[in-house]
This record gives sequence, structure tokens and C-alpha cells, in this order.
Amino acid sequence: MSLFLIASLPFLGAIFPALLIRAGRNASAASAGMVTLTALIGLLTNAPAVLRGEVVVARIDWMPGLGLNANFFLDGLGLLFAGLILGIGLLIILYARFYLSRKDPMGQFYTYLLLFQGAMVGIVLSDNILLLLIFWELTSLSSFLLIGFWKHLPEGRQGARMALLVTGSGGLAMIGGMLIIGNIVGSYDLTVILQHKELIQASPLYLPALLLILAGCFTKSAQFPFHFWLPHAMAAPTPVSAYLHSATMVKAGLFLMARMWPVLAGTDAWFYIVATTGLVTMVLGAVIALFKDDLKALLAYSTVSQLGLITMLLGFGTKAAATAAVFHIINHATFKCALFMSAGIIDHSAHTRDIKRLGGLIHLMPLTFTIVLVAALSMAGIPPFNGFLSKEMMLEETLSAVWQGSPYLVAALAVFGALFSVAYSFRYIGHVFLGKRRSDYPGEPHDPGPGLWLAPVFLTFLVVVIGLFPNAVVGPLVQVASGAVIGDGQPVVFYAKLWHGFIPALYMSVVAVVGGFVLLLMQRRLAPLWDAAPRPEAKVIFDALVGGFTSLSRRLSEALHDGALSRYAAIFMVFTLALAAYAYGTGAKGAPNREMLDLTIMPVIGWICLTGATVCVVAFHRNRFLALVLIGVVGLIIALAFNYLSAPDLALTQISVEVVTIILLLLALNFMPKNTPQESSTGRKLRDATLSIGAGLGAGGLIYALMGREFSQPSISEFHLENSYSGGGGTNVVNVILVDFRGFDTFGEIIVLGIAAIVIFAITEAVLASNVRGRLLNREPDMAQAGNPHPLMMVVATRVMMPIALMVAAYIFFRGHNAPGGGFIAGLIAAIAVVMQYMASGYEWAADRQRVYYHGIIGSGVLIAALTGMGSWFAGLPFLTSSFGYITIWPLEKFEWATAALFDLGVFLAVLGAVMLALESLARFAWQPGMDSEHPMEINPARDDADNHEKQEA
Amino acid sequence: MIQSDLSIILPEIILAVYAMAALMAAVYTSKDAMAPLLTWVTGGLMVALAGWIATNGEGTNIAFNGMFIDDGFARFAKVAILLAAASVLVMSQDYMTRRGMLAFEFPLLVALSVVGMMMMVSAGDLMSLYMGLELQSLALYVIAAMRRDSVKSTEAGLKYFVLGALSSGLLLYGASLVYGYSGTTLFSGIILTAQHGEVSLGLLFGLVFLISGMAFKVSAVPFHMWTPDVYEGAPTPVTAFFATAPKVAAMGLFARVLYDAFGLAVADWSQVIALLSVASMFLGAVAAIGQRDIKRMMAYSSIAHMGFALMGLAAGTVFGVQAMLIYMAIYVTMNVGAFAFILMMEKDGVPVTDIRSLNQYAKRAPGRALAMLILLFSLAGVPPMLGFFGKFYVLRAAYEGGLAWLAVAGVIASVIGAFYYLRIVYYMYFGDEGEGLDKSGSPVLWGFLMASAAVMLLGIINMFGVEGAAAAAAAALVN
Repeated sequence: MSLFLIASLPFLGAIFPALLIRAGRNASAASAGMVTLTALIGLLTNAPAVLRGEVVVARIDWMPGLGLNANFFLDGLGLLFAGLILGIGLLIILYARFYLSRKDPMGQFYTYLLLFQGAMVGIVLSDNILLLLIFWELTSLSSFLLIGFWKHLPEGRQGARMALLVTGSGGLAMIGGMLIIGNIVGSYDLTVILQHKELIQASPLYLPALLLILAGCFTKSAQFPFHFWLPHAMAAPTPVSAYLHSATMVKAGLFLMARMWPVLAGTDAWFYIVATTGLVTMVLGAVIALFKDDLKALLAYSTVSQLGLITMLLGFGTKAAATAAVFHIINHATFKCALFMSAGIIDHSAHTRDIKRLGGLIHLMPLTFTIVLVAALSMAGIPPFNGFLSKEMMLEETLSAVWQGSPYLVAALAVFGALFSVAYSFRYIGHVFLGKRRSDYPGEPHDPGPGLWLAPVFLTFLVVVIGLFPNAVVGPLVQVASGAVIGDGQPVVFYAKLWHGFIPALYMSVVAVVGGFVLLLMQRRLAPLWDAAPRPEAKVIFDALVGGFTSLSRRLSEALHDGALSRYAAIFMVFTLALAAYAYGTGAKGAPNREMLDLTIMPVIGWICLTGATVCVVAFHRNRFLALVLIGVVGLIIALAFNYLSAPDLALTQISVEVVTIILLLLALNFMPKNTPQESSTGRKLRDATLSIGAGLGAGGLIYALMGREFSQPSISEFHLENSYSGGGGTNVVNVILVDFRGFDTFGEIIVLGIAAIVIFAITEAVLASNVRGRLLNREPDMAQAGNPHPLMMVVATRVMMPIALMVAAYIFFRGHNAPGGGFIAGLIAAIAVVMQYMASGYEWAADRQRVYYHGIIGSGVLIAALTGMGSWFAGLPFLTSSFGYITIWPLEKFEWATAALFDLGVFLAVLGAVMLALESLARFAWQPGMDSEHPMEINPARDDADNHEKQEA
Repeated sequence: MIQSDLSIILPEIILAVYAMAALMAAVYTSKDAMAPLLTWVTGGLMVALAGWIATNGEGTNIAFNGMFIDDGFARFAKVAILLAAASVLVMSQDYMTRRGMLAFEFPLLVALSVVGMMMMVSAGDLMSLYMGLELQSLALYVIAAMRRDSVKSTEAGLKYFVLGALSSGLLLYGASLVYGYSGTTLFSGIILTAQHGEVSLGLLFGLVFLISGMAFKVSAVPFHMWTPDVYEGAPTPVTAFFATAPKVAAMGLFARVLYDAFGLAVADWSQVIALLSVASMFLGAVAAIGQRDIKRMMAYSSIAHMGFALMGLAAGTVFGVQAMLIYMAIYVTMNVGAFAFILMMEKDGVPVTDIRSLNQYAKRAPGRALAMLILLFSLAGVPPMLGFFGKFYVLRAAYEGGLAWLAVAGVIASVIGAFYYLRIVYYMYFGDEGEGLDKSGSPVLWGFLMASAAVMLLGIINMFGVEGAAAAAAAALVN
């Protein structure tokens, strides 16, 4: 049968039990059994070829870009494991049919079981490590579902979580290892990887890859220090424990170690990590197992111990040890599975698994006793059962293992472990079955029906047969399987016999058996000592680790995300500075190649004023008015600096923008408290100061570094200086840029400016309609009001100034194209002229005399600009192409006239309208029609407006 | 000339004009009463545009003298963005209508931000980059603070805005430096100046400031600070939107700039991106563990996922870009499903976001719990779910790009990250008995949850052909 079919049969068949459960539990179980049996038969059809030494392959490209191919191959190792999985699966299905009670949803159980089975078969048949990874994690997932099946048991929850977390994380770590291996070799196909031992072991990444892969194997196979999850997972129903936690899933780790053995084994790292871990696990598991009173816990720790044994054998890295490992895998599967099933039978009828409450069952359950006797003796390593054979081989191998120069250390520890395993095996027999019959069993112990005993009896039968005729029964299988593990193409000689003569291993066995027997006699006395002895409890450590990690994480996230914007911004800045430092460190700099300007007195004074004002702003920023004044100083110095550096245009613009914004801010400040509250602690101030100074120095340094060198590109100002007159008909480059070169930008900007003003207006309207305004008007001003809001001098002066200011605006506007000036500045100047009227004479006075609404001014400005731009369409030119020429209008002299000037008019109007609308809107907060005033022209925000407000509402 | 330009940018124009026209129409007619209809229409239009872009585009088309590029990469990202945005819109309609939160502006703001995103992934010039970015961001600022009556939402929106402005400023500063030292804003021009070994100081400064500005948009550590607050504070549909389409767009833009403009100076940015990546993966994974609010947890989860996606970018290879695209496509699909689930989490009609309220959820709603389980496993990157393939792609890309340490760090981070996803599974299946959530939610949400879970399972067959499309897209970008 095709390997694809074998691997997919359990998945495809998983649907039947769930469907057929409606037809009864037998039908459901039978369908699951049939699926498994079909797959098993399919596997066996391939067996002859494999036993001949061939490798059966089936391949399909799946995602070649990723290196993932659906490739399967069946060699001896795969055959062994697939046979175990499907064969024992069949027995478990039979057993579970009679074990599960009527209340349990059996269809679901079988579905999950088949899914799990399919995943396991997938692991052992995969010829692609990515495919293997997929199946690997699928076993975690399906086992989670299987364990979760018994979710009504509270202790099961913790176990399921632990199992999932440990094995799942291990699997993820393994992904990393597989990735490295796959990249070293250049292929993700196992058959290819297995041929590149030298390449992999020579790679510097061999050790990380090994560690990551072993992390996956050790977690899955419950090796120290990850052994703790397995006993806790035993809360699952017995069929699940027997199948997952002894026969198959926990062996996946062993399988992978065996699978990768040809390329990973044989190095010191492999020996010390794998063999040591195995040895420690073996001894530790055996010791703990002896002192467990729960029958399943005893078996769980014995499983841990036995898995450790196999791991150790694989870790030795010798051929004989690998062969012994393969042989013990078979033996362990047979006797341990039988023991689990018998534990389930005892639990089922006696209603307890507590060894202390059992004893004397031999009289009540003779058949079960026979099963346990054979299986446990095999586990103890007593001839003539199969456990003896492999244990003998193991002891033989330990003799040749040298650990850090100590030749007998491994052997001595192995005997020590074996001694304990003899003791716990005997304990199962002695404390459960022998002794006096008790009268206080929680249930009524009795031998079960054939449904429950058939499977374990079959397994014990195997135990005996393999023990007696090892070479005939499993010889060929062990040979091909260990051949596949060793992978050097040489045929493996496997010849096991019960009697080897008086070899050292025999003495070691005898020591172990006798010692184990003595130990068992002392067990009851040692148990209190063991319980009293302080030892790390894995579950507690696990909980503490998880808890500690969780609280650490919480502390971290609370420290980072305390909700304070300033902290966020601080982190942001720190990292930006770090990035900038990185850039400074790695960028190509070159030596400074520009000369410094001479230091004259003017820039120095300017610099001192600028810096002084800036420092003062920081120092006095709590006083808002003072801060505003100081900011004004900064703006002024910048305007002067522009002037000094021969940019009168910019200076004009800067100064007029400065004035308008200061007035705007003054209006806004009118409604705000004089001082800002003190919020920052000294530490935070220090932090902020450090950061700001760092950022400032960084930015300054960057500019210094950049300015000290010639630009790599020619300066863009050259272009504008050259083309300003010929292209735009003006000698004022800034203005030509605004209205011509970048006319489209300006067009967009005036629209934005207009929108902004209208938005301010709209918000003002909304605020005025709400009750916010009442509060604004009723607030207590925190500064004394001026005695006379409208000083006569100022009123008169502004009114006289108005025509002059407008005249200046017109002048600035007209000269703009060739000399400093232009629509933008002119607009601001005109705005200042009008604003002064509001300030001096009061809102109402000014509003009365206003004939054109500012909205309209904005709109007409934009419209004029747009029409000017469109005008060029009539000349067949693109939007906003300007032209200029010389015209003569009597009685004036001939003068130059550019269409850009018309555009500039639009700018002028838009700026004027926008600024005025914004200022007027803000002013309206404090004003309403019909407001009484002491003087006819005043703004008095302190006025108690409550009466008016009520009147209005009425 | 202009006609061909316009025809290239037609999908964006259609969506933008639609959004503006619908905005005006809704303002002057029935306003919020129209919102459900508008939501569906917007979603439908986006799906239609996605279908159009996916089937019609061919080759590389350049519009407006290189400012706008319509190539395989852009189309891939646009389809992902449009579909993600449409899904989130359709999912949120019922949820928001029932709570009276559905303003007619919501679908239109989403549409406008999507226009911005489409611009971002098509940008071929620093100007169009910034335009797209800001169009997107401005819409997102508003959406984040959409619930004006909630202090949390407003605060989150404000923080997002302030930090966003800071990052935009930084990005602009970077852009101006890049312009100053390359003499052009066109990516195709910058790349000629920015070749490894001759990157001048100014250009490099420009590059790192651009990177930090864009890192903010993908919420990579340490520019991620806004993410948890916004995710938690905003209404869940908004969170779902934040977690999906904008991430794809920002990632796309990131790739655009790095490869189109600085593709010849990989060594100069690879380490920075790798640093962002590793910091994001670890902080996201570690900080998520302590979260009790599922939305906040998803915020950290998305930070970690962005770290993984950046890993593909850091590789600096075609394969890396392909891996990043696949990762993002899978990420978005997973998140749509996960948020469909979160949107269904409620008790007595009130949304619940406490993780512990999921106790024993599997008992009450086995189907949904199973779907969520699949999604969570996929988010954790556990095979055989699709999420694993995404992770594997980027890990491989990083490894092959010479960043083995990054790949190993990624594996460790994903192991840490698995913890908190599995914790939810644990609560759903083994949590304590007690008061649990209702089994409520619209069929639409249920459908998205199931579909997304099904994709995670069935996608392993051939990833629905995304692999090939991503490869073509990556090849179009890196050349």
C-alpha cells in the first residue's frame, strides 16, 4: 500500500467513529479498529521489502519554495515505530471500547485517537523535516484534545496545560534546530540530510542545532529536567496514558534522536548531553517511582526512567548501544503497555489506584495477577522475559562508557538505577497482589471480561515469546531498524540469548535484583524518610516559574506603559538619539571642507539673545505671558538673523507672521490661567532636561557637521537665482518662487489657510452655542484688568495709522515681484492694520464698520488665484504658467506687469481674510451682540454675563 | 500622458471620490441612519476593487514620472489591505450599530485611510510616500478617538496623535536630509546615490530617521508605545482595523523605501531593522504574558508579529520580502478571525475583554472554541497551522540572509509567545467553572471566525496560491 495512504488513513478514517457513534458504541469502535487494521495491513504489505533492506519511498512536491515536500519513506526504523503505533493502537481501541463508560462520548474519543495515531504515523514516515515538524506538533495538539477529553477531572487540567506547554514549546524550539540543519545541508529531506554527517558536524552551528533539536526530543520524551510533565499528565484516562504516555507519543523524542543519530551522534557534545541526560533521568525516575503510591504515578515515573535508559543508550553513540536501544524500545512498549492496561483494570474494579489501599488482589484477580507478574518481571529484568535481554545489553554497554575519565561511573549509576527499577517492579507485584486479602477495598475487585483482558494478555504473550525466541520473533526487525539508526549501510548483527555465561553484566543484574529485593523490603520504612526529605517539587517550581514570569512580564509592561505620554516620548527620543549615533558612527563623513565665517560682534549678540531667550522660556514657561514675550524675542532675533544673512524677504515675512501669531496667542491667553500647574518631579525634569539637551546637541552637531562640508548636490538656490528673472519676470526670488515656480504649492497653501480659518470659525460657533461660553465669561480673571480698556491715545493712533498701514501694504504688494515684499507679507500687514482697530476700539465698534465678511475675502482670494491659473489655459499652456510683459497706462511710466501679480493678489486676499477670520472668531468668545459696555468700545471678558445669558435662553 | 497616469491610479481615485461623495451625500441626507448601508457598500466596493486589482494588473506601470508605482508588490499589498479593511468593516457593522456607535463617518474614514494605504504601498517618491502616510494617519487618528464619550478612547487617540506627529516630523526631517544629499525625492534616483560604501552622513541620517518614522507606523519596539493604549481604548472594531490593514500598508511602505530607495545599501539598514525586529519580538512576547485584557494582549501580540515580519525585511533578499509578504497575509487573516471572536465576546449584551471570562468557553460553544483554538495555535506558530509557515518563511529568510542569530532569537521569542496564546486555550478548555460569556454574536462574525480558522487549516495545502503571488511581488520589488 502506498505510504501516502498509510499516513492519511487515520486522518481520513477519523470521521467514521464520530459518525457511527449514532449506530452504537460497537460500530464506532469497530470502525476505528478497521481503519487502524487497514493501515496496519497496508504497512505490513511493505514489510517484506523493508526487511530485505530496501527503503520504500513516496514523494510529492508540496511547497517547493519553502522546501516542504510531502515525502514519505519507510525504512527499518519507520517500520518498527509505525508497527508499534498501529499495532498497539489496535489493542488500545479494543481496550478502550470496554474501558470507557456509557457516559463518555466515545465517538469523539476515537476520532481524537485516530487523529493522534495519524500524526504519530506521520512522524515516523516523514522524509522531510518540515513535514515531520508538522506531524510533531499535531501530536501535541491531538494529545491535548485527548487529555482535555477528561476535563471534568480538576487535576487533569493542570496536567494538560503543563504537557501542552512543555512539549509545544519544545517543538517550537526544534523548528529552529531543523532550520539550521536544513540550511547546512541545503535540503529539508531527511534522506539527504542523513548523508551529510561530516558537513553537519563540522558546521559552527552544529551545537545550537543540536541543543534546539534535543530540546524538542527531551521535552517530548520527558527527559530530565522536563520529566515533570509526564506524571502530571496521567490524570488522563488509562487508554490514553497507555497509548500516549508509554507506548507512542513519549517515544517520538526517542524516535527523532534515533532518526538523527547518523548525523548528530558520535560527538562529545552528543555523548555528554544525551547520555548524561538519559542516565540522570533513568536513576531519578526509578528512585521517585519506588516511592509513589499511585499506581499510575509509579508507572509514569518508571516510564520516565525507562525512556531515560533508552536515551542513554542512544547517547553512547556506539552501534551496539543503538541496537540495544532499538531492542529495548520494542520490549518496553510491550510490557509497559500491558502494565498500564492492568493498572486500568485494577482501577476499574477496585475503584482506587492507591497502592496503600490495595494488596492481596491475587485471590480476587488471578488473571490480572498473571499479566502483571509477567510484565513486571520483564520490567525488572528477570529472565526469561524480554526485559532481561535488553537490560543485560544495556548493562553491558555501560561498562564501556567512559564519563569524563571515570570508567565505572556510568555502570555504577546504571546498576543503581536498575536496582530501583527492580524494586518498583516488585512493588507492583508485592504490594498490590500479594499479602493478605483486605476487607476495605473501595470497589469490588474482580477479573474483567475478555474485552479488557485480551489486549494485555496478547502483550504479555509477546513479552514471553520475545524473551524466549528473540532472534526468531523480532530479530530481523531489530536488525533493519538498528541498521537504519546507525545508517552506515553495514548489516547489523543482532543476536540475543538468555545465557551468555558469567559475564560482568550478569553480575550487575544479580546485584540489581538482589539489591532491589532488599530495597523493597525496606520500602515501607524508607518511605517516610523520602517524604520528609526536602526535594524540589517540579510542579511547584513550574508554577513558581510561570507565576514569576507572569509577574515579571506585568512589571515590565507596567514600567514601560504607565500611560504617561511623556514617558513614551522619552523612550522614543532616546532611541532616536541612539539611531542617530549609529548613523553618525557608520556614515561616510569626510573632512570638513568649508571655511568658517568670520565671527563678528553682531552675530554674537544675536546668538546670546537667542540662546538667552530660549533658556528663559524654559525657565519661566509656567508664566504664560512671560513665555509668549520671550518667544516673541526669539522670533525677532530670527528675523534679524535673516536680515543679517541678506534675506530681507524672509525677515519681512518672519516679522509679520510673528506679530500676527503673537496677537492670536494673546487673544487665546486671555481665556487661560496665567500660570501652568507644576506637575513634574525633579527626577522627571532631570530626565527631560538630559534628553532635550541630548537631542539639541545632536541636532546642532548634525547641522554643524553637514554645514562644514560641501554639499554633494549643487545648491538649489543657484537655479532659482538664474531663472528668476528670465522665467518668472521678477528679481525677488522668494516672491517668484511663491507665485511662480512653486505657484501650485502656494495655491494649495492659501486654500489650506482659508480652510483653517473657516474651521476656527466653525468651532467658535459651536462653542458659542454651548455652555462653555458662559463659563468663559464667568471665570475670575487672575490678573488685574486695565483701568481703561480703550486708551484714547491708542484709539486715535490706530485710526490715524490705518490708512498709512494700508498704503504700506499696497506698496509692499506692488514692489513684491522685484524687491522684498509680496502678497503674503502685504496681507499680513493689512491684517495687522485691521486688527489694531479691534484691539484699540473694541470688537463692536469694528464689527459695525465692517462691510465685507472675511469669508468672502478668503473666497475671492482663492477664486482670483484659481482664475489667474486657469487663464494660462486660454494661451494653451499648463495651469498657472505665468507670463509677463511691459505695459504703459497713462499717466504712468512704462512698467513691468506679470500675471503672477494677479495671483499674488489672490494670495493677499486669502491671507488677509484667513488671519482676520481667525482673530475675529477668537475675539467673539468674549463678545456677544447687544452686550452692555462701560465704554462704547471695549472687550471685557471679566464681565458677569449670567444675566444676559439667561435672557437669551428665555 | 495624463490619461495613462490616471488610468494607473484609477482604483485609488475611485475609492477617494466615492468616500468624498458619500461623505457629502450622507451629511445632507439621513446621516447616521445610512451608516449600516454605507458600511456594507464601502466593504463591497473594496472587495470589488481588490478583485479588479488582483485580476487586471500586469507588469510594472509607472505614473506621474515615477511618483506612483503600480507593480506586483503594490498589487499584492493592496489586495491584502482592501480585503482586510472590507472584512473589518463588515464585521463591525452589527457590533457598532447595536451599541449606537456606528457613525456614518466610520466607513468613510476607513475608506480614506485605505486610499492613503494604497498610496503608501505604491509610493515611488518621498512626496507621494508622505502624502499617503499622512492621509492614512490622519484618518486613523480620528478613528482611534472616535468614541468621544469615552475617556480611554479619547486619551488613546490623543497619545497616538501626538506621538504620530512626532514620528511624522522625524520622518519628514529624514526625507529632507535624503533629498538634500541625493538631489531627488524619487526612489529611483535615491538608489543611484545610496550605494553601499558611499552612503554619505546626511543620507544615512535621513535613512535612520525615515526608518524610525516608519517603525512607528508598524509599531515596532521602541516606537510601539501607543499600540497597547490605542488597542485597549478604542472600540473593538477599530482595534481590529488597526491590527490588520494599516499594518500591511506600513510594512509595504517600509519594504518600498528600503528596497526601492536604499536597496543597494542593505548593510546600512539591515542591522537596524534586525534590532527593531528582535526588540519587538521579545517585548511583544514577554509583555503579552502579563495581560488580562484580550485587546491589550492582541496589541502586544501584533507588536511581536511585526517583529517577525521585520525579520523577513532585515534579511535583505528577495526571499526575505516574499517571506514578509506571506507573513503579513497570514497575519491579517488570523487577526480578522481572532477579532471576529473578540467581537463576539459579550455578556448580557455588554462587551467583555477580560481573558478570564473565557473560562470553560469550550463547554458552551464548542465550535467557536475549536475555531479560536486553531487560530491561537496558528498565531503561536504551531504546525501544521498556517501561522507556522509564515514563521518558518521569515526564520528561513533571516537565516539565509546571514542573520542566524536573529533566526535563533526568533525561535526563542516564539516559544515565549506560545505561552500566552496557549493560556487562552487553557482558559477556554480547562478554566474554572463560573460565570461565563454568552453565546451571542451575529452570523457574519461567526462566518468570519470559521472561515479564518478554516483557512488556517486548509491553507497548508497550497496556501491558496499566495506563495507564488508573493514571490512575484517580491521579485517586482527587489531587482
